[in-house]
Amino acid sequence: MGVVHGEEMVLNIGPQHPATHGVLRLQVRTDGEVVSKITPYMGYLHRCFEKHCENVTYEQVIPFTDRCDYLASMSMNFGYVVAMERLMDIKVNERVEYIRIIMAELQRIASHLLCTGVFGLDLGAFTPFLWALRDRERILDLFELTCGARLLYNYMWVGGLSHDLPVGFVESTFKFLDYFEPKIDELENILAHNKILVERSADIGVMPKDIAISYGVTGPNLRASGVKWDLRKDDPYSIYDRFEFDVPIGQGLKGTVGDCWDRFYVRILEIRESVKIVRQALASIPKDGDVHQSLPKKIRPPKGSVYARTETPRGDLGYYIESDGSPIPYRLKMRSPAFTALSVLDEIGGGWLLSDVLAILGSLDIVLGEIDR
Amino acid sequence: MGLFTNKFQDNIIVEKLDNLLSWGRSTSPWFFQFGTACCAIEMMAAAASRHDLKRIGMIPRSSPRQADVMIVAGTVTMKMAIRVKKLYEQMADPKYVVAMGSCATSGGPYWQHGYHVLKGVDLVIPVDVYVPGCPPRPESLIEGLLKLQEQILEERPLTRKMA
Amino acid sequence: MTENQQKLIDELVNKGLDGDMDAVNAHQDRMVRAKAKSMIMKIQKGILKRPPLKKISPEEVPNGDIVQNQEKKENKQESTSAKVVRKLLEKFPNEIENEEFDSHIQLKPDKWFEIATWLKSEPELFFDSLQCQMGIDVQDDILESRYNLHSMKHNHYVELRIAVSRSNAKIPSVEKIWRVADWFERETYDMLGIEYIGHSDLRRILLPDDWEGWPLRKDYQEQETYHGIIVPKMKEGWE
Repeated sequence: MGVVHGEEMVLNIGPQHPATHGVLRLQVRTDGEVVSKITPYMGYLHRCFEKHCENVTYEQVIPFTDRCDYLASMSMNFGYVVAMERLMDIKVNERVEYIRIIMAELQRIASHLLCTGVFGLDLGAFTPFLWALRDRERILDLFELTCGARLLYNYMWVGGLSHDLPVGFVESTFKFLDYFEPKIDELENILAHNKILVERSADIGVMPKDIAISYGVTGPNLRASGVKWDLRKDDPYSIYDRFEFDVPIGQGLKGTVGDCWDRFYVRILEIRESVKIVRQALASIPKDGDVHQSLPKKIRPPKGSVYARTETPRGDLGYYIESDGSPIPYRLKMRSPAFTALSVLDEIGGGWLLSDVLAILGSLDIVLGEIDR
Repeated sequence: MGLFTNKFQDNIIVEKLDNLLSWGRSTSPWFFQFGTACCAIEMMAAAASRHDLKRIGMIPRSSPRQADVMIVAGTVTMKMAIRVKKLYEQMADPKYVVAMGSCATSGGPYWQHGYHVLKGVDLVIPVDVYVPGCPPRPESLIEGLLKLQEQILEERPLTRKMA
Repeated sequence: MTENQQKLIDELVNKGLDGDMDAVNAHQDRMVRAKAKSMIMKIQKGILKRPPLKKISPEEVPNGDIVQNQEKKENKQESTSAKVVRKLLEKFPNEIENEEFDSHIQLKPDKWFEIATWLKSEPELFFDSLQCQMGIDVQDDILESRYNLHSMKHNHYVELRIAVSRSNAKIPSVEKIWRVADWFERETYDMLGIEYIGHSDLRRILLPDDWEGWPLRKDYQEQETYHGIIVPKMKEGWE
């Protein structure tokens, strides 16, 4: 018996859809239920970030960077600040560096929790989503204690921070970490080793190594395909070289190396590594130091350009800043990791069923604000 | 009211049909989760376990045909504005719109140099409640929705309006 | 100002710019100290250019490790950019347009595809990932397309720039070499209007297909309406 081929149908998974992580349009050509080609259309959230950066001062760019990837705003700020300090040759003191690392790693835990919960939600599991959001709320409480905001912080400034750690922050964070570590095991048990989730995501959407590197995929997506590349270890910025942590890579425990389950599991392992880093940083943070010590009076970088990369929860974030000596940037380009992760969808999504396509999209962990800028 | 007070036993309530209908509508508006950007995350957090939206009667629906309230959370761009209008027209009457966040109210932080940003969603659809903030806390969103419920409670759907 | 003093000031200025202000402050001669500090200030403001490091002979030098630092710095600077340039000049002469290779290499657009293929496959350089590709509107009617390349094997970087004029903005596409360049080039086309010859599907990616104009050019004017909706900020008195 042969396979019956019908006509090809063009289906629109439209800009408004509960499972597309934002406003993204996927035009899908299917033959029955099997997908042959996916074309993503984006730009529904293009908010002219780069044009704004050419018209406001360097300090005023920081709230705009927050809003690009709204799930990891601390990491976005961190990347910009690292690039500016490299351009202007500013060195900050030890306390500022330790606080920045603590905030960035807590943000990484919050972002991975949300991504894990939403992946389960896409495949039909509602309870782990609520558990993940409940734990994420406690991290947002810690952030609110420090700088007053829950989602978009404007916390890291060029040369320092906006607020110092309040009294009681270190104890609250230790209490949170002691409460949180058993919850990671709970989440892993209910989701990662769940038979339904394994059936729906193992061996699906396999991304081989060479395709991943050629398409510019970075971050947990690249590590799940077996490439041990983490900017915090291979090209360290700030004081990441003082901490001990592992870099988890995908090993194909439930299927092939580089499938959806691997991408999902690598994020759970990374949550554990981030908890380790936060514990080490809290134990050795210097007690005195002024966070406003190296803030420049007026930011006027010398003429020239810089390209700096940092590791956000989604991958390598790059900022290319070109300055002409005035207080307003001449050109600022943000190289976002989710942009390249979305471009690989067509390559790895062909040949699967329609519901598998949504599982693949969920495992890539995209945020439309960063793609469209 | 006046003629029928205290004439019946305790388990019989007499009320105008108007009031009954608007009471029923206001306490269970199902919302259409139209989240575009950062405010969508706060809307999701408002519907999650800490600040629960189900306790005021709101259930998330993914299709506009099954929803009463459309919460426009996040920036609306020119490319998206045409689709927003289409989605609004797909909702069945009576429908209400809540503009959440400063981007949906007036363009937000992108009002000055954003060539592709719609300066306020009320340029394409009529809005009932504006909730300011960038992003508004879930408690602010809940207050905005309670105000909307008060507004719906005061409607008189069966009364003929004066010309 | 003797030549020795000038050399000493240059070397103190370089040390100060790299973060070592103690060396400047510890120097005995008050005039040299003052001149060095004022030069550092002017360089940070962008008025002066950073002086290149010249080799000082060992008799004039109070301690020997300054010469070693200079050599180390020059060796480091030789490694990526200069290495690429040296190899490029052997294989593709006449394609480089700038003289100082500290920050970037300026190329001509004609043979860019061949150079890119060679850069990816040459074993000592092996630039197998294109990290970032962007366009920029430098003034005087010139548009530039800049490429940041990175090698995962050797862990080194290089930046390349290609400049074209506004009226004839055409650059060969490198989509077939690095697959990530597909969307990067579409975005540069969308924002600046640079056309990439050989691209399989060059159309707008972020803006709608019927948008007019190239937004990131410095002389961009927004259109008045788009499908009936007003585009620019409307109310006066919001400033």
